[in-house]
Amino acid sequence: MRASAAETLPRAFTILVTATAVLAPLSLILYQSLLNAPFFDARKAIGLDAYRFIFADPDFWQAFKNSGLIAGGMTLIAVPLGGLLAFVMERTDLSGRGWIEPLLLVPSFVSPMVLSFGYVVAAGPVGFYSVWSRELFGGAPWGIYSILAMTVIAGLTHVPNVYVYASAALKNLGSDVEEAARVAGASPFRVAFSVSLPLIMPSLLFSGVLVFFLGFELFGLPLVLGDPEGILVLSTYLFKLTNKLGTPSYHLMAAVAVCIVAVTFPLVLLQRQLLKGSRKYASIKGKSGRMRELPLGGWKWLAGGVIGAWIFVSVLVPLSGIALRAFVTNWGEGVRLAEVLTLDNFRSVWEEPTMMRGIWNTILIGVVGGLLTVACYTAIGFATHRRNDGWSRFVDYLVLVPRAVPGLLAGLAFLWVFLFFPPLRPLRSTLFSGWLAYSVVWLAYGMRLISSSLLQVSPELEEAARSAGAPRWRVSRDVTLPLIRYGLLGSWLLVFMIFEREYSTAVYLLAPGTEVIGAQLVSLWQGGAIDLVAALSLVNVVLVAVGLGIALRFGVRLRD
Amino acid sequence: MAELTVENLHLRYGDNPILKGVSMNLDRGEVVSLLGPSGSGKTTLLRAVAGLETPHEGAIRIGERVVFDSAAAIELPAEHRNLGLVFQSYALWPHKTVYDNVAYGLRLRKVPQAEAAERVGQVLAQLGLGPLGARYPHQLSGGQQQRVAIARALVYNPPVILLDEPLSNLDAKLREEARAFLRELIVRLGLSALVVTHDQSEAMAMSDRILLLNNGRIEQQGTPQEMYGSPRTLFVAEFMGSNNRLAGRVAEVRDGRARIEGEGWSLWGTPKGETAPGREVNAVIRIEQVKLGDGPEGNRLRLPLSTSMYLGDKWEHLFRLGATALRAHGTGDLAPGEYWLEFPPDRLWLF
Repeated sequence: MRASAAETLPRAFTILVTATAVLAPLSLILYQSLLNAPFFDARKAIGLDAYRFIFADPDFWQAFKNSGLIAGGMTLIAVPLGGLLAFVMERTDLSGRGWIEPLLLVPSFVSPMVLSFGYVVAAGPVGFYSVWSRELFGGAPWGIYSILAMTVIAGLTHVPNVYVYASAALKNLGSDVEEAARVAGASPFRVAFSVSLPLIMPSLLFSGVLVFFLGFELFGLPLVLGDPEGILVLSTYLFKLTNKLGTPSYHLMAAVAVCIVAVTFPLVLLQRQLLKGSRKYASIKGKSGRMRELPLGGWKWLAGGVIGAWIFVSVLVPLSGIALRAFVTNWGEGVRLAEVLTLDNFRSVWEEPTMMRGIWNTILIGVVGGLLTVACYTAIGFATHRRNDGWSRFVDYLVLVPRAVPGLLAGLAFLWVFLFFPPLRPLRSTLFSGWLAYSVVWLAYGMRLISSSLLQVSPELEEAARSAGAPRWRVSRDVTLPLIRYGLLGSWLLVFMIFEREYSTAVYLLAPGTEVIGAQLVSLWQGGAIDLVAALSLVNVVLVAVGLGIALRFGVRLRD
Repeated sequence: MAELTVENLHLRYGDNPILKGVSMNLDRGEVVSLLGPSGSGKTTLLRAVAGLETPHEGAIRIGERVVFDSAAAIELPAEHRNLGLVFQSYALWPHKTVYDNVAYGLRLRKVPQAEAAERVGQVLAQLGLGPLGARYPHQLSGGQQQRVAIARALVYNPPVILLDEPLSNLDAKLREEARAFLRELIVRLGLSALVVTHDQSEAMAMSDRILLLNNGRIEQQGTPQEMYGSPRTLFVAEFMGSNNRLAGRVAEVRDGRARIEGEGWSLWGTPKGETAPGREVNAVIRIEQVKLGDGPEGNRLRLPLSTSMYLGDKWEHLFRLGATALRAHGTGDLAPGEYWLEFPPDRLWLF
């Protein structure tokens, strides 16, 4: 088909910009990793020195091992628990599922930095719950500064990632297969383990791979909980490299970054293959649409207990810890809560211009930046919508690439891009740099939101417009766009929340003028300013909660 | 004059051939049905004409205009073909009112506002939708939605209107009304229409000519009377009506007739195509052509009644001939026993 220039040019432009934004930073990391000095250094030369250095460093291998341990362990915790929660929520008559569902998703919307900090102030050696437990029971038999604790916390807080996919798969599964098991005499949990969960195995596998590579990308949690005991994982090893050598060791950081991507990228590709498989799998099992709830009977106490315990440990403990800590001057053994209550923490935030600018920037990047980001994602969505050619497949893979790049690395890569290309330097100290990095880091997530909206538009509605005489751009403007507008508004809200939550991407981009709460938390935590961290964390949680409240009020689907 | 010409169209999805050389034409003021079982390629043919599927070989002309020609590498996109297309699902735009749905084609053609309003009003009135212009599609009944879809396809006077299973989304009662309405409308407005359907009675009721597709090829085409009354192949005979079918062997051929024999029976029939004694054939007769006789004279068999079913306007009787069930219509109930069934030889087709 001969397409007119008016149709191909915008598409070509969109694909070109996307490809540049995704591939330029990555190529720069790869290039930097092959130099023996920072790329701006005049004495740089091509070589494998950087790799030689880190491979000879026992700390690197220890960090690698720790990352693998934590990633594997958290997968083993998150997948069964997430699958079970999905079964209880989707398939049984447990009461209160309406309000439990948003709670189940909370950990995926709260910054891991904030959550980790919450665990420190709630369950650390002198945390609220530890102190109360010692007062009431004479002991607090847990510690949070260990690999085991990090694994458990990471596992529990990644349950939503599994839950989302497992429950979507269960929705597609006809309830007749479960009823058949029930009639044959199986108890509800027997049904779950012998029928429902095996049938959604591809989705569980898919989310297992997801959780595993998210484990390799962990940053906030090991930074907060691993650092006191000197436990390093790959991302914190990278982060600490500068301190270790005292000079900008960009080539070493790049080499570590390449190692991380070398682990995560194959996993992302594997995940994509699994997704294709799981779609085939789910669509052929049972009659969907006919949903009947499985009566739990006496089992509801067990089911409710598991969910309640999970919510208590993964949501209530850290969030209540932050909320309390933000309103006290100090806390420890023998301190009476009533005597230390204060608003001073917030006053300090209020009086510190960089903090206020950080809050303001965080809101700005979420609201205005989020809107622009959704607009960009929509443009990319339209560039591939209903076109099954090589370019569409290219974009499909392209948007997956950032999935494999942890936010910390992406932020670093964008910092280098802004340093490397002189024309971009003025933008370095504006919020634009952060916005661009955020948009690229969340590209895969955002594109899933957009394409699930686009997929809901029946092709016939667009074909009807074409046969009425509308060229492609008018079909998009007059039919497709108006039809997905609510989906786009929902995406804007979700993107707002993840932008409020984001912290690691901005760590290296933090500069006067580009402060955002997430990155400030990292740097304040490094400096040990607990009071400010608590107050800012609470502000951050409130911002996300506002987004969540609006989303719930307007019935936005919290997952794609 | 042909409004639409399709020549030797081939189309495949991947390695799966859907159309294997289809040729057809549609004259001005004619209604042609594309009939066939699911998977026969009828909807694909319609979509190829509309420009929504790309054939890999063949040509399509609308009037004198070539809209697709694989040899000359011509392919006009759907929006430049100026056809009216009515979807099976109607595909009404849910965010536009009835008026805006219908007016969209005129807006794309830059028809001035006042003229567009007049033309939309006119077509809505023609379709009995006069007062519904301000409503949204979800506020309409199924029948009304269908008429909006038709109005939307008619408003810019396309030379040909394409209808994809126009009646299949309506419930049974409404379908008969809509069928009559559609036929009457097409004749009254003098439209040239190509209609896809899988229901042979719908095709016969609505069209001047039927194209029966089977597995990507045109099996037979002709007027409804030809298709029903003189099918050329077993497939056509079976598809176009309800039949009794008997398998047997030709025993003798005489005077354009042939005698077919089975286990314990023998009947005279009309061979369709070449035949010779000894050949295995299928004898097919429409159910309504089988008569209950009162004696052995003529082309008759005496068979035991196995059951009778009351269908409201008639009775259907089931008789046993070995393992085969034969059906005949009657006006009343029958007592158990054996009866003479008559098979008029010119109605018993041998394939």
